[in-house]
Order: sequence, then structure tokens, then C-alpha cells
Amino acid sequence: MADLKDGKTTGHQWDEEEGFPLQEYNNPLPRWWLYTFYATIIWAVVYWVLYPAWPLADGFTKGVWDWSMYKELKQDLDEVAAKQKPFNDRLEKLSLKEIAGDNALLQYSVSGGKALFGDYCAPCHGAGGVGVKAGGFPTLADDDWLFGGDLATIQETISKGRSGMMPAQLKGAGGAFADNQVEDLTQYVLSLSGKSKDAAAIARGDKLFHGEAACNSCHGDKGDGSLKGTMAGGPLPPVGAPNLTDAIWLYGGDAQTVRESIGKGRTGHMPAWGEENSARKLSPLQIKQLTLYVHSLGGGK
Amino acid sequence: MGQQPIQQHPYDYEIVKKFSAVSVIYAIVGFLVGVILALQLAFPDLNANIPYITFGRLRPLHTSAVIFAFGGSVLFATSYYVVQRTCKVRLFSDFLSNLTFWGWNLVVVLVVITYPLGITQGKEYAEPIWPIDLLITVVWVAYFINFMGTLVKRKVEHIYVANWFYLAFILAVAMLHIVNNLAVPVSLTDSYPVFAGVQDAMVQWWYGHNAVGFFLTAAFLGLMYYFVPKQAERPVYSYRLSVVHFWALSFLYIWAGPHHLHYTALPDWASTLGATFSIMLLLPSWGGMINGIMTLSGAWHKLRTDPILRFCIVSLSFYGMSTFEGPMMSIKTVNALSHYTDWTIGHVHSGTLGWVSMISFAALYHMVPRLWGVNIYSTRLINFHFWLSTVGVVIYIVAMWISGIMQGLMWRQYDAFGNLSYSFAESVAAMHPYYAIRAIGGVVFLLGALVMAYNLVMTVRQDGNASQRAAA
Repeated sequence: MADLKDGKTTGHQWDEEEGFPLQEYNNPLPRWWLYTFYATIIWAVVYWVLYPAWPLADGFTKGVWDWSMYKELKQDLDEVAAKQKPFNDRLEKLSLKEIAGDNALLQYSVSGGKALFGDYCAPCHGAGGVGVKAGGFPTLADDDWLFGGDLATIQETISKGRSGMMPAQLKGAGGAFADNQVEDLTQYVLSLSGKSKDAAAIARGDKLFHGEAACNSCHGDKGDGSLKGTMAGGPLPPVGAPNLTDAIWLYGGDAQTVRESIGKGRTGHMPAWGEENSARKLSPLQIKQLTLYVHSLGGGK
Repeated sequence: MGQQPIQQHPYDYEIVKKFSAVSVIYAIVGFLVGVILALQLAFPDLNANIPYITFGRLRPLHTSAVIFAFGGSVLFATSYYVVQRTCKVRLFSDFLSNLTFWGWNLVVVLVVITYPLGITQGKEYAEPIWPIDLLITVVWVAYFINFMGTLVKRKVEHIYVANWFYLAFILAVAMLHIVNNLAVPVSLTDSYPVFAGVQDAMVQWWYGHNAVGFFLTAAFLGLMYYFVPKQAERPVYSYRLSVVHFWALSFLYIWAGPHHLHYTALPDWASTLGATFSIMLLLPSWGGMINGIMTLSGAWHKLRTDPILRFCIVSLSFYGMSTFEGPMMSIKTVNALSHYTDWTIGHVHSGTLGWVSMISFAALYHMVPRLWGVNIYSTRLINFHFWLSTVGVVIYIVAMWISGIMQGLMWRQYDAFGNLSYSFAESVAAMHPYYAIRAIGGVVFLLGALVMAYNLVMTVRQDGNASQRAAA
């Protein structure tokens, strides 16, 4: 066991005034310990022979396998590049519609687009494009679009970016209307999706919406947004004014948030990813993949 | 067995008492900051946008508080206790003893002020700015002279093994601290390191890894070599093993730093040396575990009644486990999975909570009643603390293993087309539940430390009569 056979210690003793004195047996090194220690040394020597290991006056021992982490990295990257090249060659030549019609190419694009989206887009639009209301970042996974959900428009949005500006209406915030007028507008806007029953306020707000405040010049006569709405029968400018008649809200559809949107205004900015000299430059190939990925999220037209 | 204060000894116990007392305070503060950080990682809003308590500023405060304030104070206390009792002389100089105490605590206070203000030199585990580094150097030289002087004037022929480990720790830390902090000051708070680029990184991790090696390993092995045989009332298993593993550990540890920099700008050859020396370090590290556990062997029956010995055996087990895990993680292919993940955090905490803290708790429970000449207030509370610590550590490291390996696997997962399967943010979201579980483990461990503080305060506050009652 732990004691030497004769039960003798080294004979040295310390700290004997109080409690058990410190003593030492002199058991031999456990065999398994010693041999395992030798094995690790042999392992290390073998490793030194195989891999780069010891510095020399000029360079270092390269190892018989001639391994280096840069070679390993390059090999891995080359493998991926070789696998992707046939896809990329076709992706560059074909139009978005043609790619979308080819199942293998579409799968490839969506796979690459998903990886790109996670790095570049998800910080604002959320994982899977679910949107982030607090910042007014639109959901990309539904079929409610501000500028358009067809392939060409999505590609344009990503490449050139978008800006949306809702002007402030409240007097103190740069607008022309008093608190009670902003409140009337709020009640009217809420009524468009059935959320207000204050008939008097709705009537006053309706008048402002289509009159002095001219909200219909962007949101349309019916308030159904610049994309599908009309004013006096004619189309609206493509300013990305949201549809106010449905249950989907960019910043939030409760009275407080709507009041704030109208009173203080909103500005939204989607950066351009495809412009030359842009700090956020993605290649046309990457933008194609992203376009197809976003289009595939559920609402592509 | 009642503890009789030794009336006729020449030892300076006041300095040991002072360092013991602050070590308990620093343990609680350090663990508390750790719990706050764990909660912030799980629930980032908890920093309330207050810059002074953001993760980046509190994290170095946590590591410094637990390693240098708590661990350092335990090492000052135990080394001063052990070197006196095994050399049969008073410490070399009362002046130097007090200089180390007040100097070390001043360092801690300055660190607590500067880190939250964001005033650091940005080197991991070596964050203090240059004026504080100079103060640390002064304290450390005083410590060396005081310890060495005591060894020189000893009244015992042989130097006990615990003292070799303490001395190696003091010498190595002096060298590491000075070299890693070589810098040119440009103002009171700013300086530039003399090393640049990858050389600076290499020096930093030579320091960082050996802070683990000599501060958290060698020094606490010294502590173990005194308190385990003393508490178990058994002779040390093998003198020969202690000599061999001491020299092997000291020689091999100093080379292992580059394993912190695999797959970086560090040249391949340096990376290889770091990994191979880490593998060769496994058995020398285990020498201490074998000597500790085999010393306890033959006293197994005492584990039923002595929770201090339970702390010792569990501590040695965690020591063995993390010194096995470390060399494995230093192999490049394993490191490619584990590096930058929570696995590393789990590994560090199995060493620091499981080994360093538990063996420190055992030492404090052994020492405090003897220093004050009273019985421990409650053995049942020691046992309660033992279970809180053990459960807390296990919850912590299991959560980090799962989280870390999952993280590593998610980061390297490619789909059939060679594109990454997961974005970084998705891996963060996947870690959330494990971060919450880790915080629970930390809270349990902190509760244990509070139980210890209560028990030790009640122990020290006992007068002679109370001591009689507790014994009855």
C-alpha cells in the first residue's frame, strides 16, 4: 500500500510541536507513471520529426511531412473553391429568373445567401429576416413589401440601398400641426385597420389625411401604401410608404407608437451593398445569392 | 481534539491572520463579480448601459480579484504559515511582512479603482498600468527576500517540499511579471510594450500560461504538500516522486505558452513546441495528484467524518482532471475545436474553482482555528460548504463543456456546398440556456463561500467558553 514494506520514512521530520508531524515515505515512482511519462516524451520526439519544431540559426526544422498551417488552410479553401466553381460560373452568366428555375442552382444560392445574410443582414433584420420593430427594420419573411418583392426589386434594394422618410407633423418637431390634430390623424390611421372607434376624431383625421397634411400623397387615398396604393387614380412615387390598412407595422401599431411616428416622423435607411467604393461592398455574385435567399424567405413575388 | 494555541512559539501569526482575513473577503468579492458577469452574458441588458460595469471592464476585475487578490492572499497567508512552522523560525523581517501585506492590498485597491474606469494596459491577467506594476515588483521583491531569508535562518536541516514549490512560484512570478510588463511609459496611465506584434503576443502567453503554471499550480501544490499530510495525519507518500515531479514540472511548464496561440501569426515551429511540451507536462502535473491522493490513501475512513479532507480529495481530483484536459486541448487538432469557445472557460474554472479554491478552503479551515487557538464553530457548515462548492463547480463546468463543444461544432459546420451552416449570432443564441445554467452554478459556489465566511467569523469570535460549548 502507501507505506514502504518496512514502514520507514526518510527520517526527516517537520512541524512536530502540534498535531501529526510532517514526514515522508520514500516510495518508488509508480511504474505506470514513469512509463507513461516516457511515452509522452517519445510522442513529443516523434512529433518533432514529423512537424515543424525546432528553430535553427536560419529557419527551422520543417518536419518530414512538410506540414504547415498555411498549406492546410490553402488546401481546405481550394477544396471549397473547386466545389463551388461550376455553380459560380453558371450563376454569373444566368439571370435571376433562370437561376430560380434551376433547382440545384437555387439551392446553392440559398445556401450561400443564408451564410451571407447571417453575417451582413441579420444584425438589423434578425435571424431568418424576422425583422426588428424597435429599429423599424422590416420583416423580410412575409409578403408585405415596401419597395417590391420581385427578384429584380430585391436585387436593386440590396445593391443600391433604400431610404425612407416620414416627415414629422407635430409643430414642435418641425411639422405644422398641433397636438390635437396629430391625435386626430392617429385615430384615423388606427381606424384604417379597425383599431379606433372614435367617429368624431376619425372624421377630423380623415380630412387632414387627405387635405392639409397630404398623407395620401405617399400612403395613397386608401392608406394602403406607396407600392399598391393610388392617389386620384394615379400611381404613387416609389418612396416605401407602408400600407396602413393591414396588421403589419414597421415600428408598431399601438396608439402610442403610431402617434410618435406621425408626430416626430421616422427615417429608415438600408445601406447600399453593391456600390463601387462602398465600405460594405459585396460582389454581384454574392448579391445574386442574397437576393434569391431573401426571395425564398416566404414572401417573394 | 481541541486546538491549543501554542504559547511558546516564536512565529508571527498576526501576518498570517491578516492575509487569511482579506483572502475570505476577496474570495467573496471575486466570486460575486464572476456571478454578475455570468448573468450579464446570459442577460446582456443587466449592464444597464453603465460603462463602469460593462463586461469588458468587469471581466479583468473578476480574474484579478480571484487570482491575485483571493489566490494571492491565500498564498501569502499559507506560505508565511508553512515556512515558519517547517523552518522553526519567525519570518525573516516583520517590516517586510507588513510591507507585503499593505503593499499587496494597495495593489488590489488600485486595481479596483482603475479597471472599472477603463484604465488598463490591455494584457490579459496583466492589466495593471505601469505604476501599479512597479508597486507589484516592490512587493514581490520584499516577498522573495522575506521568504528566502526565513529559509536561510531555518533551524531545521532539510527544507520541506512545500517550500520548494513556494520558492519556485515566487521566483517564476517575479521573472514573468517583469518581462511581460517591460514597457516605455508615455504618461501616468499609458505605456507602450517593448515587444511588438507576434513577439508581444508570445511574451504575453508565456506569461499568461505560466501565471497558471506557477501561481495557480506550483504554489498551490506547495500548499497541498503541507495541508494534506497535516490534515490526514499521514506521511507524504513519496519523497522521490516529489523531487522528480517538482523539477519536471518547473522545467516543462515554462515552454507550454505557445499552445494559446495555435493557428495564429505565431510560426508553426513555436506552436509545435508549445503543444509537445504541454503533453510532456501531463505526468509531472499528475505527480502532485498522485502524491496527494496516495497520502490520503490509508486515511479513507477519515473522509466520513472530516469535511476538510473531503475538500482535499475533491480538489486533487479536479486538479488531475484539468491537468489532463489542458494537454489534450493543447494538441492542435483538438485546439482547432476548443479555442475561443466556452470549453476553455470551463477548463479554467475546473482548475480554479475545483482545484485552487477547494484546496484554499481546506487550508483556511485547517489554519484559522489554529491561528486563533479555538475550535471551528461548525463542522456541519464546512460539510454544507463542501457540497455547495462541489455541486456549483459541476454545474458550471458541465454547462461550459456542452456550450463550448456546441459552439465549436457550429462554427465549423459546413453544408454540402461548402457554405457555413450557422452565422455567429445563431451560435450565440444557442449558448443562452447554458449561460443561464452556468450562472446558477456560480451562485451556488458563491453561497458556499458565504457559508465559509460566516463559519470562520463565528470561529474567530468565540471566546474560551464558547469554544468549550462548540466542542461539547
